[in-house]
Amino acid sequence: MNNNIYLPQLAVIKDIKEETGDIKTFTLAFKDRKFKKSFSFRPGQFMMVSVFQAGEVPISISSSPAQPGILQLSIKKAGSLTGKIHGHKVGDEIGVRGPYGRSFPVERLIGKNLLFVAGGIGLAPLRSLINYVLDKRTEFGRVTILHGARTPSDIPFKHELSRWPKERDAKVLVTVDRPDSRWRGSVGPVTTLWNKADVSGQDTLAIICGPPVMISFVVMDLLKMGFSEDDIISTLERHMKCGVGKCGHCSIGHQLTCVDGPVFTYREMKKLPTDL
Amino acid sequence: MRRASGKGDLMTDKLILYKEHLNSFLRKITKGFELIAPVRNTYGDTLFEVISSVDDVSIDLTNRPILSPKRFFMPQVETLFAYRYDKSGYTFKDAADSTPRVIFGLRSCDTRGILFYDLIFQEGLKDKYYLDRRKDTILINLGCNQPGENCFCKSAQSGPFLTYGYDIQLTDLGDRFFVETGRPRGRELLAGWSYFFRPATQTDIDEQYEVVLESEGKFRHRLDFDAAIDKLINQEVAPAIWEELGNRCQNCGGCAYVCPTCYCFNIFDSPGSEKEGERLRTWDACTFAGFSRLAGGYNPRQDKTQRIKRRFYHKLFYDKQKYNIPSCVGCGRCADICFGRIDMLSFIRLICEQENKVSEPAHRKLGELLLDAGLISQKDLDLAIEKQAATGHATGRFAVAKKPLGAQLVEMGMVNKEAIARTLGYQLKIPGTAENVED
Repeated sequence: MNNNIYLPQLAVIKDIKEETGDIKTFTLAFKDRKFKKSFSFRPGQFMMVSVFQAGEVPISISSSPAQPGILQLSIKKAGSLTGKIHGHKVGDEIGVRGPYGRSFPVERLIGKNLLFVAGGIGLAPLRSLINYVLDKRTEFGRVTILHGARTPSDIPFKHELSRWPKERDAKVLVTVDRPDSRWRGSVGPVTTLWNKADVSGQDTLAIICGPPVMISFVVMDLLKMGFSEDDIISTLERHMKCGVGKCGHCSIGHQLTCVDGPVFTYREMKKLPTDL
Repeated sequence: MRRASGKGDLMTDKLILYKEHLNSFLRKITKGFELIAPVRNTYGDTLFEVISSVDDVSIDLTNRPILSPKRFFMPQVETLFAYRYDKSGYTFKDAADSTPRVIFGLRSCDTRGILFYDLIFQEGLKDKYYLDRRKDTILINLGCNQPGENCFCKSAQSGPFLTYGYDIQLTDLGDRFFVETGRPRGRELLAGWSYFFRPATQTDIDEQYEVVLESEGKFRHRLDFDAAIDKLINQEVAPAIWEELGNRCQNCGGCAYVCPTCYCFNIFDSPGSEKEGERLRTWDACTFAGFSRLAGGYNPRQDKTQRIKRRFYHKLFYDKQKYNIPSCVGCGRCADICFGRIDMLSFIRLICEQENKVSEPAHRKLGELLLDAGLISQKDLDLAIEKQAATGHATGRFAVAKKPLGAQLVEMGMVNKEAIARTLGYQLKIPGTAENVED
């Protein structure tokens, strides 16, 4: 291990899975054996991903820490850097450093019913936690997963979305904004799934990730359903350069998304002055 | 310390260096260190520069250098590492800087700026680029006998003389310098050339004390940082003021670049050729439009007004909350450079003198929030507003602002400061009791 927090570790791309037209899941293996052995993370944490000549970008880990040795990043093509990552092939090297950030409060979730609500690529960090929960199935209560995508072809992790409902006490509901001719499922924002989901704030924690607008509508409904502000957990996305609490870019009020977040409870989030 | 071979012994930590020996002393320093000192260049500007030959430059100890010395700890552009690609993959070459340095003639504001950098770069994961340079640099502070035009370090409690944080501190006593050694390595440095120094006498000590007192009395500006921070906590700066500041800001980043405590930086790659390049770090400024912009275009601080507001909240309130000191050392450089007068000096004066009528809506907002939170009764609030009204007036050319509603409520014992801060969505954190980290 080096003592330079800005120096990335090299990782080889072992597998690339095309989730949708603009989302790919990259399976990585660290080149340094010692680092590979010592590497561990928690669901909700992120990595700073280097594409040399282009720079770095923060990406949530989408694999489960219950499967040691596996590091997956599911990346949506959003800007020039993520575009360049999409151009990579199996066997290519990229740089990664991390894991960084405050994770989902896994210990608090034990024994509780869990409601996951995701929009678009927001399912990536939740996938890490969902698979972790399902890998340790007996430790958690009922699992309900709601996902909203723009169109049927924008739904990522299709294989898992169909595998998860087969687990004990697990339910998955998916909706799209714009259906195609073959879509038989729900249509509309993710909040249209409440009736089918049959959830209550009783003994349940909600974990949400998606675009800011989706988060605010979902939170409003959850509060009405009786969820307490501490039991609504979400993640925030901000521009980041260092990932380690120095560069100042990801600040929100007196907090830094990279070290104080990216996971916040709603009680914490509502105190953050979003434009300060 | 390599030069401190103990040629002599210093009898005391208060010494005298005669001015005629200064250049000889500095020449000795250049033998074992890279010497940095304020130099007046041919354009008449004074800047901290690396000095190879003491006799070839004009060291200026009268004027405060235009730029802070922060670039000697975090250069405006620096290479973090170089990368290279070949058949076997990528390899890195870590940039390292282990030059031993002495910075001579730092002003108290600058030394305090470096102490603030220490907080940022040591907190959590350590920044080795900064800490390596810091470790190998000796700080020789020069207290200020004559505060500059825009100086307000006394109000910022960071000058004109320091009581800690320096390795060596000098006070100009006319024909000689009063020399104090602070941290051990300062003492070690001087011990190498003890023959330049004599122990200070009681007369020297008394004279130095008089210089300090005299200097403290010379400040043109006295700013009330606490009152300004209270205005921010209580959200009592009128929206119209933020608007105006936003309109006047030209996004030049000058305030951040000249500031001894502004530390925000950018990281990016600079391709050299097809197979190699460098990862660079450069200074950044929160007033730049792209500072917070995300891939995809969303920008939480899209508006100039929001960025200006962020800047002042960060430096005055958030840093005070986090580190117990605001990140303004009162050097006045932003006031020197900003032609829009959106500098710290103008800002604190502006918000402390704003007419009471413009802050009225903000008062109502705080009152409503406290009512909603059930922390005060309507009766108490009315009473406080009535009392508060008597504390200011808007007549004549110089309006006197009313006491902030928050302060009024606290004074009347109706609610405490922490409750106000919490109600407004901020939690006052006491250093050393990080309670918000879960794992």
